[in-house]
Amino acid sequence: MARTEAPTHPWAWWVWALFAAGAVSVTTNPLLLVLVVAAVVAVVVARRSDAPWARSVSTYFMLALVIVAFRVVMQVVFGGQRTGFVLFSLPELPLPAWAAGIRLGGPVTLNSLLAALYDGLRLAAIIICVGAANALANPRRALRNVPAALHELSVAVVIALSVAPQLVESAHRVRRARRLRGGRVKGWRAVPALVVPILEDAVERSLTLATSMEARGYGRTRDLTRVPRWVSASLLLAVMAVTFGVFLLLGVPGGARPGVVCLLVGVVVTAVGLRASGRRLSVTRYRPDRWRWRETATVALALAGLLAVAGVMVLDAGVLNPPTRPLTWPSLHPLFLVAAVLFAAPIAATVPDAPSPSSERPR
Amino acid sequence: MISFDEVSIRYTESASPVIADASFTIPDGDLCLVVGGTGSGKTTLLRAINGLVPHFVGGIMTGRVIVNGRSTRAERPRELADLIGFVGQNPLAGFVTDTVEDEVAYGMEQLGIAATAMRKRVEETLDLMNIAELRRRPLMQLSGGQQQRVAIASVLAAQPRVIVLDEPTSALDPTAAQDVLSALTTLVHDVGMTAVVAEHRLERVMQAADQVLWLPGDGSATLGPAAQVLGRASVVPPLAELAHALGWSEVPLSVRDARRRVARERITLRPLAAGPDPLRPSSGERSDRVERPAVCLRSLTVKHGQLRAVDELSLTLEGGSITALMGRNGAGKSSLMWAIQGALPSTGTLSVAGRDPRTLSAEAARSLVGLVPQEAADLLHLHTVGLECAQSDRESGVNAGTTWALLQRLGADFDADHHPRDLSEGQRLALVLAIQLSAGPSVMLLDEPTRGLDYTMKHNLALILRDLVDRGTCVVVSTHDVEFAARISQRTIVMAEGEVVADGPTREVCTSSPAFAPQVTKVFLPDPVLTTDEVVARRV
Amino acid sequence: MSDPVARRAVPLSPRSTALLAVVTPLTVAAFVWPLWFHPSGVASNSQLAPLVFALILPVVLAVVISHLTGDDLDVKALALLGVMSAVVAVVRPLGAGTAGIETVFFPIVIAGRALGPGFGFVLGTTGLLTSALLTGGVGPWLPYQMLAAALVGLFSGLLPRLRGRAEVVLLAGWSLLIAFAYGWLMDLSFWPFMTGMGSTISYDPHASAWVNLHRFALYNVATSMGWNLGRALTTAALVLVLGSPMLRILRRAAVKGRFA
Repeated sequence: MARTEAPTHPWAWWVWALFAAGAVSVTTNPLLLVLVVAAVVAVVVARRSDAPWARSVSTYFMLALVIVAFRVVMQVVFGGQRTGFVLFSLPELPLPAWAAGIRLGGPVTLNSLLAALYDGLRLAAIIICVGAANALANPRRALRNVPAALHELSVAVVIALSVAPQLVESAHRVRRARRLRGGRVKGWRAVPALVVPILEDAVERSLTLATSMEARGYGRTRDLTRVPRWVSASLLLAVMAVTFGVFLLLGVPGGARPGVVCLLVGVVVTAVGLRASGRRLSVTRYRPDRWRWRETATVALALAGLLAVAGVMVLDAGVLNPPTRPLTWPSLHPLFLVAAVLFAAPIAATVPDAPSPSSERPR
Repeated sequence: MISFDEVSIRYTESASPVIADASFTIPDGDLCLVVGGTGSGKTTLLRAINGLVPHFVGGIMTGRVIVNGRSTRAERPRELADLIGFVGQNPLAGFVTDTVEDEVAYGMEQLGIAATAMRKRVEETLDLMNIAELRRRPLMQLSGGQQQRVAIASVLAAQPRVIVLDEPTSALDPTAAQDVLSALTTLVHDVGMTAVVAEHRLERVMQAADQVLWLPGDGSATLGPAAQVLGRASVVPPLAELAHALGWSEVPLSVRDARRRVARERITLRPLAAGPDPLRPSSGERSDRVERPAVCLRSLTVKHGQLRAVDELSLTLEGGSITALMGRNGAGKSSLMWAIQGALPSTGTLSVAGRDPRTLSAEAARSLVGLVPQEAADLLHLHTVGLECAQSDRESGVNAGTTWALLQRLGADFDADHHPRDLSEGQRLALVLAIQLSAGPSVMLLDEPTRGLDYTMKHNLALILRDLVDRGTCVVVSTHDVEFAARISQRTIVMAEGEVVADGPTREVCTSSPAFAPQVTKVFLPDPVLTTDEVVARRV
Repeated sequence: MSDPVARRAVPLSPRSTALLAVVTPLTVAAFVWPLWFHPSGVASNSQLAPLVFALILPVVLAVVISHLTGDDLDVKALALLGVMSAVVAVVRPLGAGTAGIETVFFPIVIAGRALGPGFGFVLGTTGLLTSALLTGGVGPWLPYQMLAAALVGLFSGLLPRLRGRAEVVLLAGWSLLIAFAYGWLMDLSFWPFMTGMGSTISYDPHASAWVNLHRFALYNVATSMGWNLGRALTTAALVLVLGSPMLRILRRAAVKGRFA
């Protein structure tokens, strides 16, 4: 088998996708939205592997379409603004008193439809960016790179990812075996006969697995001293600070500044506390994912793309949110093209993912 | 290397001890085989070596277990991981990750070994176990033998001095088992490790054993050179049976040893009489009972996706006989059985007692063809044996108590309020067999029933199957165990890649190729003798 | 309360309890933010609220999880956690394709009940995370889903002690309740995005909580009543049919595992 280069670091894809999502979140200009989505999709098509999660991107497209359609339908049926360029009129339904303030039907205007469409497109674009990260980042590799304080969580999820296909197989087996007992019980009452053997299998498997992990030294390098009291106390205080900060920032008039301070303090203390409690484990990594120039380039290009959009915000903020009242054509700023090229540029900086092992199976 | 010092283990305060006052020392660099019937405490003893008993699974232990100077009382199994590698019964269930390479590295990651050292050791281990080309394959797609070798590799990577294996070959076909065994002997002979292996089927392993630790079942443990201990043990592999029958005090550990001794003692057999085989009557040959063919297949094909698991197979099976179905894993044995039952879609003609089970309802098909699948527990979903029996009576439409009575006839020695998951392999097999028999099928198919059974249980199973045959049932048993097949069957069918490659009287099929020949046959080759009983009967 | 033995699967120390006491109201607040959000100052843009939560909920979740799993987590409990997460992830797609059927809560409720609130909480997070990783469903909604499922597991373990048929009925009623509550809360937190700002059943950041709640109720009845009802009924039905055998299996596992 030919050796392929190590795949791009999963966190690099996530940072790239989040920057793209950040860029689209500040605009309702359909031209920029379509350009960025096209760039992101180009990268996905060029760089995704044949792994199951890589197929998820079409699901995200469906979701995005549903969101746009839902937005438009909501606007048609429940629209508030009914003035402007009228396309057609729906009969207006009178509503009882308890639904006062809600209007059903009435004239449908191009202005409000476009406003709904643009806003829906923005959400759809964010969703597609997230979908791109899901399609490109290998979840197993991402799990290998979680902070040490969450080691147990990552172990549990790694186990779950390995066991899930075995459970599916076990379900097929048990379903087939039902016929051997005559299958006289039908409907709801047949469910236990199917589920119980699978769950029994799973639980037995967990005990075997635990034995194997224990015998292979799981948890051996753990420093047996407990998390220091000050660490857990400060973590508790940090979470309280975060909670308080959120309420100040979002719920109290004029609470923005103290709220932000509380949030920042809380998050920094949390990070320090988690680091301190994670130090007690000295598990090593086999072939750790390295952060190379490729990853740095991917992140830097995406950051540049985000900055390009931010540049438009500074130079010509109006173009990012084309008005729909009065109706105008959305205009194309040259920096839009720059941003799109920058978001698509990681194609040049990365290599295709190695084919997944299942496709190498002989026969 | 491993010393037990007056060790007693019991699981609860009141229970009788599983191991009682065991004292022995396994020398450094030996391969020690642990033998004993089901429930004799083999697994408990193995688990005591690395401290899983009592630290992990519980139990009350007195006495001391010292391995290379370290006491299991002072250290937990995880702390002994760099000294003792432990491989459990089901390798797939013990895997944490999902690819070969990650799994081999997993143990070292836990021990905190530096990344560069780890890289080197993983390569070495992959080569040692001969699995380097599998490194990126998902563990689920490997064959049983490959999985077992990965499981061994995954504990070797931590470079232990002792390796403990619980029934490493019980689920494997002969070729895969041979791969695992040769990997094991490499470890003992070339790497110099000490190995402790528990097995039910000794015929392949015993020639590699230096020592045998015999657990008679009363809690005691006897350690000694393999040839001597096997001569006394109640666990009798075929060569031991032969040794007992011929009055030898030491058991020959390999076919070669036995052949030499037979030649030295000039033991000869009377030639087999011509005509019908007097020792192996099948009811088809008894002229007083003429049976219609019970199962008739014409061009039967089973497809799994692109793969033709059973390929245009034509076959006739008679009632009142036992047919052994052999062939390596994946040869299509299971698919054929499921197809005959009608539970697996197939094309071609299928007729069982004149009817086609594929067109019948599940209930009707079940009263025509019974099948005990490999994973017998898949059929059980209630929490006591009694409830399962009652449910089975209802499903088969028979009088209450029928299944329980059948179970008693099969020699069940457990209470009705037992949890089916707590039964031993043999007991569970008996339960599922009783459930399937309650529908009164005229054809009974058993898929790998001998897996995990000790010699006594296999003997019991043989008696049960003979009893079924005497009632006119057509029995088909798929098995990797040539000894068992030779003992019970009149006819043997060998499958490969979905086709029949050999079909004929067991004596012909089993004596014509070394792969399917029982050990006794190999000892007396070219004489077509199959069992020790025949040797005794025909001895001059 | 569940069995004392089983509750040791993932023990809840006083510190963890204090932490959960802070995190629970924060989680609820994150779900109902459209009701208490106040547009003023820096935070005038209501787009900011979910962004803030998307950033802090993972942090808070990390603290709770590292607290619950950090000390003395038995290997057997960890392995069981992994296997049960796989169960959650495998049963989830069974419901996703069929309108209104939501199977994911059922194993979490049962496991929380049989193995204690700590186990239930952690299973809620690991189960949903596994499912998201398997299906490529990671996104800003994931922390919400994880926390919601975690709280379901937590409170399932804290329900009053009953046995036999009464226990199953209690759990079925509880599942009915949480399935509805989950549907409402999830819809509420994403309501401003789904409808935008322009229509008469949209979120209005300047209106009072009462007006918004009224609008939301109408929106919810119009769009997702059937969905929520379906989810609630399936979960309750699954509990009634499978509750007692599954509780028995998990309790047996707890006894066998002797969580220390």
